[in-house]
Amino acid sequence: MGTLETLVVLAHPDPSSFAHAAAERARRGLEAAGHTVRIVDLYALDYPGALRPDEWRAYESESPVLDPVVAHHIELVRSAEALVFVYPTWWSSLPAVLKAWFERTFVPGVAFVLDPRTRRVRPALGHVRHLVGITTYGSPRWYVKLVNDNGRRTIARTLRIATGRGTRVTWLPMYSLDGHDESARRAFLDRIESRLGRLR
Amino acid sequence: MSRVLVLFAHPDRGSFGGAVLERVSAGLQRAGHEVRLRDLYGESFESRLSIDEKRDHLSAPDTKPQLARDFDDLRWAEILVFVHPTWWGAQPAILKGWIDRTWARGVAWELPDGAKRLKPILSNVRRVVTFTTHGSPWRVNALQGVPGRRIANRSLRVICHPLCRTRWVAFYGMDSADDDRRRRFLRRVERVASRL
Repeated sequence: MGTLETLVVLAHPDPSSFAHAAAERARRGLEAAGHTVRIVDLYALDYPGALRPDEWRAYESESPVLDPVVAHHIELVRSAEALVFVYPTWWSSLPAVLKAWFERTFVPGVAFVLDPRTRRVRPALGHVRHLVGITTYGSPRWYVKLVNDNGRRTIARTLRIATGRGTRVTWLPMYSLDGHDESARRAFLDRIESRLGRLR
Repeated sequence: MSRVLVLFAHPDRGSFGGAVLERVSAGLQRAGHEVRLRDLYGESFESRLSIDEKRDHLSAPDTKPQLARDFDDLRWAEILVFVHPTWWGAQPAILKGWIDRTWARGVAWELPDGAKRLKPILSNVRRVVTFTTHGSPWRVNALQGVPGRRIANRSLRVICHPLCRTRWVAFYGMDSADDDRRRRFLRRVERVASRL
């Protein structure tokens, strides 16, 4: 049994939130399985909520990374075999700060390479074997499906183009968050820990 | 003649995205609309929902003076126009954050006692129109699951007027497009904007 290098990216403003509890249980499950866990808590880092204008101008240059925090996260991504995203779903998609993390981290040369001749994009995250989404929704499942689960699409489809077909997607959703009592929430947290403990 | 709120989310007014905005503005002016423009990068809009805004997400709008202008714009608009590049399949984070923070209780939705989901109240908005550019070709965006389009045309649209119409005007394959294709797209943008 090999161990995995895992990176957990967490996006919730409140340290006492259910998302933080979920990330903690994910960490416990992964560590129990012998995996290495790095956690990036975006709000705790005061991570910016947008790609900066100077970063946009540098985007297609030889050195698109201007911020040492971004450079550090890119190192974490490059060594990661599993990317785990923990966030509340807002307006059917990622919180702005997590979307900003995508825009700043997954720059050319990291998530994909732009072929200078054809101007086509080639995937560069082939080392990521697992994409995991752990998210809460205010709405019931049927409503999430009606408006489309665009956060899930961003991770399971958009990002997966950059990781490749061999990458497994694991989705752990909790719908109708406010409609659940304590025991249902605890059961969900238990499920996160046991499911991530089985990641191979 | 309608009240049009334009949300612009591009870091550079001198870019092709900026040219799209100019043509949108020209088209809207030609049609005689009353326009409010929000340049989110230009005003360094804070896109992160704060911990207080999260904790108070059920509180009335007048408890959030920092968002008073955003609330007023959203309530005022009959047509919402988004102008932005598509990054990672969707709206730039700065625009997503404007949505996260502004589409709040008492402005966009209510949550009546005992209700299991939001009750839409943004009935002043009758059209949601997006002008966007994609670096990659249409088929790549299709593989991605077109999340940006679905956020605007479904997730936001269901909060607006029941008869609200949506429109998605997109330029695909910008990374490999020549000047001629770019010019044609800009003409199309102005034409669409002038007929809203």
